[in-house]
Amino acid sequence: MKDWVKKHPREAALLGAIAVLFLLPLGGVDGFYTAGNLRNLAIDNLPVLLAAAGMTVVIVAGQIDISIGSQFVAGGIAAGLLARSGLPMPAVALATLGLGALFGAANGLLVTVARIPAIIATLATMVLLRNGVLRATGGDWIQGLPSGFQWFGLAPASAPLVYLAGAGLVFAAAAWALRHTTAGRAFYAVGCDHEASRRVGLNPERRVVAAFAVLGVATAAAALLNYTRYPTIETNGGLGFELKVIAAVVVGGTAITGGRGSLIGTFLGVILLGSIGTVFTFLHVNPAWEKAIQGAILLVAVVADTAFGRRREGTSP
Amino acid sequence: MNAGGGRPGRLARHSPNGEWVLIVVLLAEAAVFGWAHPRFLSWENTFEIARLAAETGLLAFGLTAVIKTGGIDLSVGSMMGLAAVALGGSWSLGLPVGAAVFLALLLGAAGGALHGLLVTRLRVPPLIATLGTFSLYRGLAEALTGGYTSYTGFPAGFLALGQAYLFGWLPAQLLIAGAVFLALWVLLHRTVFGRELAVIGHNAAGARFAGVRVGAVTLRAYVICGVCAALAGVIYVARIGQAKADAGLGYELTAIAAVVLGGASINGGRGTLHGTLLGLLCLIVLQNGLRLAGQPSEIAGLLTGAVLIAAIAAAQVLFRRSVRPVAADASVSENPEEFTMKNHQLALLIAAILGGAALIAVSNLFLARSVVEAGASIQTATHAAVAAAPGGAATVPPPPPQARRVVALTPKAKADPYFVSCKQGADAAAAELGVDLLWDSPTDPDPAKQTEVVEAWITRGVDVIAASCASPEALSSVLRKARARGIGVISWDADAKADARQFFVNQATAEGIGTTLADEGARLAGGSGRYAIVTASLTDANQNEWIKFIQARMAAAHPGMALATIQPSDGQRDKAMTETRNIVRAYPDVKVIIAVAAPAVPGAAEALKQENRRDVKLTGLSVPSLCKAYVHEDWIQSIVLWNTQDLGYLTVRAAVAVADGSLAPGATSFSAGRLGTLRVEGDQILLGKPFVFNAGNIDDFDF
Amino acid sequence: MLSLRHIAKTYPGARALRGVELELRAGEVHALLGENGAGKSTLIKIASGVVAPDPGAEIRLGGEQVTDATPRRMQELGLAVVYQNPTLFSELSVAENLCLGEDGPVISWRARAERARASLARVGADFDVERPAGGLRMAEKQLLEIARALSRRARVLILDEPTASLAQGDADRLLDLVEKLRAEGVAILYITHRLEEVLRIADRFTVLRDGAWIGVYPRAEVDRARLIRLMAGRELAELFPKAGAELGEVALETRGLGHGPSGLRDISLTVRRGEILGLAGLVGAGRTELARVLFGLAPATEGEILVGGRPARIREVGDALALGLAYVPEDRKEHGVVEALPLVENISLAVLRRLGGVWLDETAEEKLATGLAARLGVKAASIHVAAGTLSGGNQQKVALARWLATEPRVLILDEPTQGIDVGAKAEIHRLMGQLVREGLAIILISSELPELLGLADRIAVLRGGRLAGVLPAGEATREAVLHLAMEGAET
Repeated sequence: MKDWVKKHPREAALLGAIAVLFLLPLGGVDGFYTAGNLRNLAIDNLPVLLAAAGMTVVIVAGQIDISIGSQFVAGGIAAGLLARSGLPMPAVALATLGLGALFGAANGLLVTVARIPAIIATLATMVLLRNGVLRATGGDWIQGLPSGFQWFGLAPASAPLVYLAGAGLVFAAAAWALRHTTAGRAFYAVGCDHEASRRVGLNPERRVVAAFAVLGVATAAAALLNYTRYPTIETNGGLGFELKVIAAVVVGGTAITGGRGSLIGTFLGVILLGSIGTVFTFLHVNPAWEKAIQGAILLVAVVADTAFGRRREGTSP
Repeated sequence: MNAGGGRPGRLARHSPNGEWVLIVVLLAEAAVFGWAHPRFLSWENTFEIARLAAETGLLAFGLTAVIKTGGIDLSVGSMMGLAAVALGGSWSLGLPVGAAVFLALLLGAAGGALHGLLVTRLRVPPLIATLGTFSLYRGLAEALTGGYTSYTGFPAGFLALGQAYLFGWLPAQLLIAGAVFLALWVLLHRTVFGRELAVIGHNAAGARFAGVRVGAVTLRAYVICGVCAALAGVIYVARIGQAKADAGLGYELTAIAAVVLGGASINGGRGTLHGTLLGLLCLIVLQNGLRLAGQPSEIAGLLTGAVLIAAIAAAQVLFRRSVRPVAADASVSENPEEFTMKNHQLALLIAAILGGAALIAVSNLFLARSVVEAGASIQTATHAAVAAAPGGAATVPPPPPQARRVVALTPKAKADPYFVSCKQGADAAAAELGVDLLWDSPTDPDPAKQTEVVEAWITRGVDVIAASCASPEALSSVLRKARARGIGVISWDADAKADARQFFVNQATAEGIGTTLADEGARLAGGSGRYAIVTASLTDANQNEWIKFIQARMAAAHPGMALATIQPSDGQRDKAMTETRNIVRAYPDVKVIIAVAAPAVPGAAEALKQENRRDVKLTGLSVPSLCKAYVHEDWIQSIVLWNTQDLGYLTVRAAVAVADGSLAPGATSFSAGRLGTLRVEGDQILLGKPFVFNAGNIDDFDF
Repeated sequence: MLSLRHIAKTYPGARALRGVELELRAGEVHALLGENGAGKSTLIKIASGVVAPDPGAEIRLGGEQVTDATPRRMQELGLAVVYQNPTLFSELSVAENLCLGEDGPVISWRARAERARASLARVGADFDVERPAGGLRMAEKQLLEIARALSRRARVLILDEPTASLAQGDADRLLDLVEKLRAEGVAILYITHRLEEVLRIADRFTVLRDGAWIGVYPRAEVDRARLIRLMAGRELAELFPKAGAELGEVALETRGLGHGPSGLRDISLTVRRGEILGLAGLVGAGRTELARVLFGLAPATEGEILVGGRPARIREVGDALALGLAYVPEDRKEHGVVEALPLVENISLAVLRRLGGVWLDETAEEKLATGLAARLGVKAASIHVAAGTLSGGNQQKVALARWLATEPRVLILDEPTQGIDVGAKAEIHRLMGQLVREGLAIILISSELPELLGLADRIAVLRGGRLAGVLPAGEATREAVLHLAMEGAET
């Protein structure tokens, strides 16, 4: 236990913070600790969790993607239009994931082939996609979807549990793959040192494109899980989604400089940042404070990280 | 680089990163837009472009210093909001306005210093540090004002900072931004400090070994950036006449894009301030030109993204030299000839991109060709009027009868389903009357950006403008300007100040909406109990107005009703659903929810449905088409609204009537085509009372 | 094992290599020699598949004709390169660094750890395989790199300046390892500027000059002087000229100086005007740390520093600058020059405020840079070219020029000739002589013992952060210095 804390100070601190946050509603607030509420909390955070898994891969690979909010809404709209055109839902899902992979790969190619720094490239694609969506839909919501669209046609009572189980499995598999497969570790190597990874025979460009594509697929999956919760699709969604996701990943201990991070940390980061709003609502705190407190938590997390980091480095000059 | 071994030439020295290419881009933009719309090249428009660029410009100038050190500041837009609130708050507490401005700037410096300390002392990556303060500053601004407080009524002397024209033609903020630009240019390019910034950006460790006080210099860059952001916030407040927590929302992205387009490397070191200015102008001119050509803002957004990718990709690929690592003993230094050659290639490439951009623009222009001609024909007339009475109120010159009229409508946010359905009616009226309809606004409600849309229309010389005001203070000053230029002005949906428009197409007063919603809520709750409100964002002016009247009506007529909470949905259905689910669980005794944003009502309905809470009733303000299914399933008991298509239809009808003089002050009735004759009370054209849609009647409407 | 024939490489506007031949046999150590810019790096890049040669080249590895040389392909064929600056993944663990890309699609961390320990054992190293590689010492990183190459069943090992950043003791151990690997039948291509090393271990020598192939020579046919002649294409003057300057008053003195975090303790030293004080010791003994303390990069936590006899307070670089101290750091690329900036801005960087106050004075900068570049013989097309385009030797001269511009009284040189070619090295040595004759005091840190022995008036030896002893030139021999520097040899 002590060893674990020493080895994983970030995870331990996050667990502590989450514990404190989840203790707060015990102080006389009813209804927080009900299966229904916890299920809601989980299902609301699923899209962020999935996208954050992808974002962890991209940041570990030394890149960043701020276009996922636009990708998110574009994925939802694509799924809606495809479903409306009469495609069966499994095909809709596959096509949407494929489109996500394309979006991601396009970002990856801009970064590797056109050599545009990731933050700039994805800033541009964010603007492009967002305006493209607006141009294409004129702001109209996608309505008249087939009845099988919502919850993929599952029973509304059991569907959230299916989503949770499915996303949980995928996330766990991703966490395992990132730690225990050669392909997963390659992202770390590339993010750690681009040139060195070339010298050990990796193709860093290809890995970077792959990382963006993984994020694209994850974002498309997030969009599917999110938008199939409704019978219609709003065309103005996903605003600020990228910041939520990046904040969760960073709070989870992934180094923005690349090469370090884990999906366990990301998982905890999503829980912490994703629960604050709900806990505050239950505590009847004025919602005007939520944004400020999230910002403060992010700052405290990174400052603590560098303080910890320096102590671990010890005396090295 | 020159072969001779001497100084590099003038061009290379002042445009080390190919900044001169941007001048070519600018000229090309000017040529394309000038050809499409003669007024584009007028002095008036030039100053207007500069005026609107001032705030983003200040952000971009400050950011240039930070980006040169290899850092970044994402929080500049949020700092604008915090500075605006600090300014407004301290002024409203009785501080003289000068002292309040000083306090705001001081706050900017403090924020910048905080970034500097985080980055230099605590070694937090700048992207992350300022991502944190991005939330923190905006959050503080919202928390301090509860989101809804907005400070108005500033003295004229202060407002002049953002609204006055020196000598009748020089916008005041242009003077300020210009002064900041010059000062920063000297600082960045003519002082040791500026050199040190660049050295730090290239290699911070190397700079430290050379005796550069890396921490102190970096910190100062962030302080400069913070002060610039606060100053931008101050000017923003002066320009739109109100201080609110949402000032500068989203401004950071344009500013960063301008810096990077201007040749600065996001990795630090490279970059010039004049490059930033050129980059900014390229973006702003593109926006302005497309607006003048009547193109919707998405086109400008798409082209901005494309130009950004194309320009940076070209620079990166062709300037690879600067990013390629130099091997340990690679004395094979690249040939100077190669370098110059690449510079030419860059020019060619950018020219090709521009050609593409121009093609898109032109092909779009052909669609709007008739509009362009109409604009051009009245241009001379308006020009004469303006020349005759500079700054004063000119009379409306009767437009040549053969030209099609141009009616410009601005909704608050064009992606909002409510306005999307208004547009259908507006299109119908425009087709009936044979006028050209311009329909544009920011995607999300943003008074400053909406102002820019209207400014462009004024310059373009439309016949009549109809505005749904995201903020009455903000829009009124620009609408007054439109009237002074002889353009007909009415407001619709959300009113401007009475003197800023000729008529208001009143679909329902805020009081009427609030009262109806409150009555509906009380009825659904059975007269007493707790109710909760789901609003758009906490800073949304209209929603805050309605909420005020809901609360007033509840207190006056339904004393049994008690407010449980107000939760923001940020105009997003996703968040509305989450918040509603939280409300019904955290406030189990809530009997009725009133959702006051179009996407929030279906979001709340879906939440009740998934929670299976038949005991909680839902009413609100939304569009029937989004709610129909829920109304039939009885998740929504009623929605309050008017016929939005009729509103758009009436607005265009009234606008045209104002433009041709058939609707003039003193009228008591107005014949509105398919709507029949409507009552005019004073300067308000009444659409009718708010309408309550429910399961019984909702199928009768198809919008 | 490896044979490269008819190798040429033309970059746009410049020919990097022409007509180069290289043949590497199993069980031999083959030295590749040449001045900087001779084309050694390009040749390695071609051999390892990073850069494609011009058409007509013939590459054979293990008897197999290779036409599609990519790094991956060459690696699979058994070729590994160990670079001067180990290309390790500092965030990843030692085990991961060793095993990266060697597992199947699924990784077993336990098996990795075992394999890692076995690989390390083969190079005689034994450190915690769970540690992040970024925390290793330089010598350990080199061993890790070699272990990694061997674990990939490398039959051809290219060592690019492996000892450049190692102190003598570590370097000796590395050379022992090279000899052991040769005995195991590995073909080794060894690139270095340290002729002593290759004269000790190499079997054959290939010499390049200005991209051209000069020849291949067996050990018996060459000696130090001949190699230098072959590389330089001309006779060079005596390598380490004694300055013979007159000693003046004490320029810098330290009393009980220490820096807690880096383990530096109780250093009492003096250096006089006109004197070159050598600073010897193993890597990690505290030589660079001492320089950093003196220069305000890591302010002292104990003891005092006297400059010109007066107590000095040095808390940051600016203080040291004001007192007339100058420090040419070890890591030229990271700290010595700013590669992206032109020469003129590099040279004027430390004196900008003296030239124009808060304002830039570009005319004065150019005058200063032109003068110093000429005095130091910097070879560059113009003072306006980026420093990164210069060769290592010329970059070092630029770094020196920056500090001479400050007109220092005490000049600290940290490995000033590391990794630079023989010609530039001699010029820097000559310059040092000239400077001490002008009355400067020089503290010379070097891991190359002959250089220290040849140039220094006295040699201070550090061990484990403490001063192990000071040897006057007369008593300083290779053995005496090593004796003081090595652990367990108490004086």
